[in-house]
Amino acid sequence: MKDIAREALIEVSNLEVAFEIGRKGLFGGRRARLRAVDGVSFDIRRGETVGLVGESGSGKTTVGRAILRAIEPTGGRVLYHGARGDMDLAHASQSDLRRIRPNLQMVFREGGLDLATLSGAALRLFRPRMSLVFQDPYSSLNPRMTVRDIIAEPLVASGLVTDRAEVDARVREIAARCKLNLEHLRRFPHAFSGGQRQRICIARALVARPDFVVCDESVSALDVSIQAEIINLLKDLQDEMGVSFLFIAHDLSVVAQISHRVAVMYVGKFVEYAPVRSLFFHPRHPYSHALLTAVPEPDPDLPFAPERLDGEIPNPAKAPSGCRFHTRCPFVRDRCKDEAPEWREIAPEHFIACHHAEEFDFRRTEAPAGE
Amino acid sequence: MLRVENLTVSFRTDEGRVTPVQGVDFAVAEGRTLGLVGESGSGKSVSTKAVMRLLPGNAGIDPASRIRFTDRQGEEIAIEGLKPGARALRRLRGGEIGMIFQEPMASFSPVYTIGNQIVEAIGLHRGLKGAAARDLAVGMLAKVGISNPGARVDQYPQELSGGMRQRCMIALALSAGPRLLIADEPTTALDVTIQAQVLELMRGLQRDLGMGMIFITHDLGVIAQIAHDVAVMYLGTIVETGPVRAVLKSPAHPYTRGLIAAIPRLDRIEVRLHPVPGDIPSPSARPAGCPFHTRCADRIAGLCDRVAPPVAKLGEGRATRCHLYAERNAA
Repeated sequence: MKDIAREALIEVSNLEVAFEIGRKGLFGGRRARLRAVDGVSFDIRRGETVGLVGESGSGKTTVGRAILRAIEPTGGRVLYHGARGDMDLAHASQSDLRRIRPNLQMVFREGGLDLATLSGAALRLFRPRMSLVFQDPYSSLNPRMTVRDIIAEPLVASGLVTDRAEVDARVREIAARCKLNLEHLRRFPHAFSGGQRQRICIARALVARPDFVVCDESVSALDVSIQAEIINLLKDLQDEMGVSFLFIAHDLSVVAQISHRVAVMYVGKFVEYAPVRSLFFHPRHPYSHALLTAVPEPDPDLPFAPERLDGEIPNPAKAPSGCRFHTRCPFVRDRCKDEAPEWREIAPEHFIACHHAEEFDFRRTEAPAGE
Repeated sequence: MLRVENLTVSFRTDEGRVTPVQGVDFAVAEGRTLGLVGESGSGKSVSTKAVMRLLPGNAGIDPASRIRFTDRQGEEIAIEGLKPGARALRRLRGGEIGMIFQEPMASFSPVYTIGNQIVEAIGLHRGLKGAAARDLAVGMLAKVGISNPGARVDQYPQELSGGMRQRCMIALALSAGPRLLIADEPTTALDVTIQAQVLELMRGLQRDLGMGMIFITHDLGVIAQIAHDVAVMYLGTIVETGPVRAVLKSPAHPYTRGLIAAIPRLDRIEVRLHPVPGDIPSPSARPAGCPFHTRCADRIAGLCDRVAPPVAKLGEGRATRCHLYAERNAA
């Protein structure tokens, strides 16, 4: 992995996404508000991969979509430092978004995107431009389109490249980089295995040379040997093209291998954000520690002693008061129940939201790399 | 308790005969957990569904296959020969061999409460009725760590969270008092903190009840924590078996070695991961000879691509199907 530049590409501050849920009362009573993302701030640098982990309902997918305006944020700013100047994506007009759309892409796991969750305006924006970027076998890998046409879609739809020969050249170039067999470009997607289909999706996401790609559970559905191949491919492409990734996944060991920095999310809020080694070998938040100890390692000599968390992940519509983790935290005190912990920098580049972080020592030993 | 020998299952499909499981042998003893591990399409689910005779209509179990189960009376049942719908088969399913699946919502009926469904199983397999059956159902829910089981028993499956549903599924499977439990990816759909809870629960229950268990998963980390023995499957055959510790610490078969090397680890950060080269061939185009030879770095030209490797015993209960070791045995 190359050293990454210090300059931010995307700066997210106080991002909030709220949904109105439930039925309206007979007399038009107020509906409940669900804050799927509740005041999240972080930045992503050029050429950097930021891993975003969390369990179901944590809001990690919503963060990725809100940054790209596939879901409308209800608050906060998303500052994008593009080649043609800065833009606040959270407040940009539809026509401005359309202009920069090829620079920002998404890769989902197969079958991952539920188009029903996109709002009407977002859908109109995305359908002509991005529908084929989503990793949904029904809407993205259109069975009636050849692989060449699928990969070319973002270039053609954005009107970025109109000359057919040039489109072909670009498609062949990115397909070769993604280690796709160029003779297969005229085939249809059904002839490909899961790993190859994922490479087609990555080729399509990168063909317009974007500077930011959201990968949402992009390798989760793949078998472990193919997963390793795709992760290596994403790293190589990043080194070559300088693209930034927001890599959203529930699998911590995958995130550990691909990310420069990692954020941990719990019920709509970030609890920790730190460089990858700090997060995995010196986590400061009890929830990060619990997540890490919950992963069974394929080594019978490593003790499996998961930190005991009582109960279940709270429903984000009824998020607990104070620190949201207090209902399950093994170290809970009275203060945690009423007072929300502030987001603070406990060590250089190491951000955390916990009242008592200084009292814990969750250090883990790092095994020597490779054999 | 369960012995499966030379199990071959084929499906009639529009594209001809597909054989997702070919010549599989495994055994489970009382109080032991066998981990069945493999990537998608390796045949792990098909081989265990054959044990329960839960295969779809277009599937056929080869006549040379033997599936033998010793029931609680000590009688050996030839499962492969039972007629579909036979009384013995109905008694076996649930009562002697319980099964839990990845998605509990697909196994529960949404129109009956959790309690109704557990009480039904208790009535069928243990002959208990009314209050006695209900008390047992509440007791089972408490045993799997459901808080306030007296109230949960009257809830519908869709009212519960995923982790809670999987616990109820385990309670349902165990309420019939099976001696063998087949768990097919029971924690794959769960979040990691919930998975840890369910794994601990299953480990404890298995120890306390002395059940035999077959645990199917693609996650070698889960295998390391829950199984005593492991069988690694590739393209419908078992390529390596043995005690978990030995297999994970010093894998013999090139595929097992590749699989372990490919796993991203949490205790170290690598510059590059080590994928198993090549793609898994489709089960309808299984390579001749050793199924792994198309991806194997150690293949012996002229042998591995022609002759299916015999089982080579490695001692300490370990065995592998690989020419590299067969040669060594002969020498």
